[in-house]
Amino acid sequence: MPEDVLQGWLQALLNGVVSGSLLALPALGFSAIFAVLRFPNFAVGALATAGAYAAWVVNARLGLPVGAGVAAAFLVAALVGVLLEAAALERLGRGGALMKAIGSLAMAMVLENALRFAFGNDLQAFDLPLARDMLLGPVRIGPQQINNFLVAIAVMAALWAFLALTPLGRSMRAVADNPDLARLKGVNPRRIALITVAAGAGLCGVGGTLIGLDTAIDPLLGGRVLLSVFAAAVLGGLGSIPGAVAGAFVIGIAEEFTVLALSPSYRMAVGFVVILAVLTVRPAGLLGSRAA
Amino acid sequence: MTGAAPLLQAEGIVGGYASAEQVVKGVALSAAAGELVSVIGPNGAGKSTALKLVAGLLRPSAGRVRLGGEDVAGRSPQAIARAGLGFVPQERNIFGALSVAENLEMGCLFERGAMRARAAEAYARFPMLVEKRRAAARSLSGGQRQVLAVAMALMARPRALLLDEPTAGLSPRAASELFALVRGIADAGIAVLMVEQNALESLAVSDRAYVLVDGRNHLDGPAAAVADDPDIRRLFLGGRTHPAPAAAPVPFQQPGGFP
Ligand SMILES: Nc1ncnc2c1ncn2[C@@H]1O[C@H](COP(=O)(O)OP(=O)(O)O)[C@@H](O)[C@H]1O
Ligand SMILES: [Mg+2]
Repeated sequence: MPEDVLQGWLQALLNGVVSGSLLALPALGFSAIFAVLRFPNFAVGALATAGAYAAWVVNARLGLPVGAGVAAAFLVAALVGVLLEAAALERLGRGGALMKAIGSLAMAMVLENALRFAFGNDLQAFDLPLARDMLLGPVRIGPQQINNFLVAIAVMAALWAFLALTPLGRSMRAVADNPDLARLKGVNPRRIALITVAAGAGLCGVGGTLIGLDTAIDPLLGGRVLLSVFAAAVLGGLGSIPGAVAGAFVIGIAEEFTVLALSPSYRMAVGFVVILAVLTVRPAGLLGSRAA
Repeated sequence: MTGAAPLLQAEGIVGGYASAEQVVKGVALSAAAGELVSVIGPNGAGKSTALKLVAGLLRPSAGRVRLGGEDVAGRSPQAIARAGLGFVPQERNIFGALSVAENLEMGCLFERGAMRARAAEAYARFPMLVEKRRAAARSLSGGQRQVLAVAMALMARPRALLLDEPTAGLSPRAASELFALVRGIADAGIAVLMVEQNALESLAVSDRAYVLVDGRNHLDGPAAAVADDPDIRRLFLGGRTHPAPAAAPVPFQQPGGFP
C-alpha cells in the first residue's frame, strides 16, 4: 500500500475519533433524555447552538477564559432545555411521544431563530491563541483539537461517575429501567425527568461549544450535526449511554472516511445510511436493550 | 377479628385502565397487622388491577383505601408508599439494569440514613443476595428475583405489603420457600395481601382469603373454609376432594394470559 494512502487513512481515523468525541456529548444528551422521558428530543441541535453562543459571549465578549465559557454553555443550555420541557413539551406529553418529538422540532426552530435574531447569521469565532498544528508521526493534529478531545472525554467520565456513583444517577437509571417501580419506591418522576433534561441539554451545550471551538459558530451549528447525533444514538441503541458513545465514534470515523473516499458533500449521507441500515437490520441498535 | 379496624382496608374500589375503565367494579379487601390474606380468582378477574388501585398506580374512580386510619385512595404511589404500603407487582418487580445492591438501596429512599443498616439486615436474611450484590439484577434466576423484589419492599419497613403472584413461574420448591418467607413476614406483624394462582398452597399458609370473580368479591372467609368450599374447589382448585366435575374446571391461570 502506498505510504500516502496509509497516511490519509490514519489522518481520517484521527479526525474521526476527535469529531466522534464531540458528537458523543449531544448524542449522550439525546440518549439520556430518551431513556428517561421516552421521546426523541430533536431540540438537542438547537440546544447545542444555544450553549455555543453562551460560551462565545462569555469568552469573546466578556473576555473570560474558554473554560468559563464551557461552564456557561452547560448552564445556559440546561436552563433553556428545562424551560422548553416545562413550558411546552411536558404539556404535549399526553399526546404521546410523537407529539413531543414534533413539538421538540418546533421548539428547535423557535430557538434557532431567536439565536439568529440575537446574534445574526455571521460566523463568530472564539478568542483563541493561534497555535500551530503538531505532527504526531505521519498525522497532524491541532492543539485545540487535543483540548476539545480531552474536555469531551472528561465530561463523559464525569457523566459516568454521576450515573454510576451518585444517588441521583441511580434514580435516573432506575426510572429509565422501570418507571412504575421507581414511582412505587418513592422517586418523583417529574423531578428526575427535569434533572435529566437539564443534564442532557447541558451536555448538548458543551458539545456545541467544542464544535464551535473546532470550527466557528453560527445559528445552524447544532442543526448541521443533528442528523449525525441522531444517527449515533440510533446506532448505539436509543437510550443506551455506552451505545451513544460507541455510536458517536463510529459515525465520526465513518464521516471522515466518507469525506476521504468520496467527497465532503457525502458527509451528510452517512447519518441517513446508518439510520436506515440500523432500522432495517437491528432496530435495537448495537447496545440497546429494547427495540427502539 | 373484633374491635379496631384492620390496618389495611379497601372498600368499594372501582377502577381500571383508560381503555377498560371498569375492570374492578367494587371490591373490598382488608388485612390486619400480622395477618396473611390470600386473594384468588380466575385469570382476568381483576386481582392485579385491584392491587394497582390500592397502591396508587391506578387511580380509583370510587372507593376508599384506609391505611392505618388514613384514607390514601387517589394519592400518588409515592405518597402511599411513604404512608407505609409496600407493593411487589406481578411483573417487572425489580430494576434489571441496576445491581442487586442498588435495588436494595432503591427500596430505602424514604429513610436514606437507614440504608446501610437495612441492607446489612437484608444480606443476613437472604445470604444468596450477598454473592450477587454487584451483579445486574436481570442476571438473577426467577426465584432469586422474587426474593430480591420482596427484600427491596422490606427495605422500606412497610406496615402493609401487597404481593402479586410472587410464586408465578417458580419451581415447586422455590414456591414453597417463598410461601414460608411470606408467612414469616406476616408473623413479624406486617399486614400482607397476596394474590396467588397456586391457590391450595397459598390458602394453606394464609389466615383469610378473598375470591374475586369478574371484578367483584365472590366470597371471603377463613382460608381453611375457602379451601373447603365445594364451589371453590370445583372452580379453582380442580375439585380434588370431590368427584370429578362434569365440565372441565376453569383453568386457574392460563399460560400467556394478560398480565
Ligand atoms: N394495562 C391494561 N390495559 C387495559 N386492560 C388491562 C390492562 N391490564 C389488564 N387489563 C384487563 O383487565 C382485566 C383484569 O386483568 P388483571 O387485573 O390483570 O386480572 P388478574 O390479575 O385477575 O388475572 C383483564 O380483562 C385484562 O384484559
Ligand atoms: Mg394478575
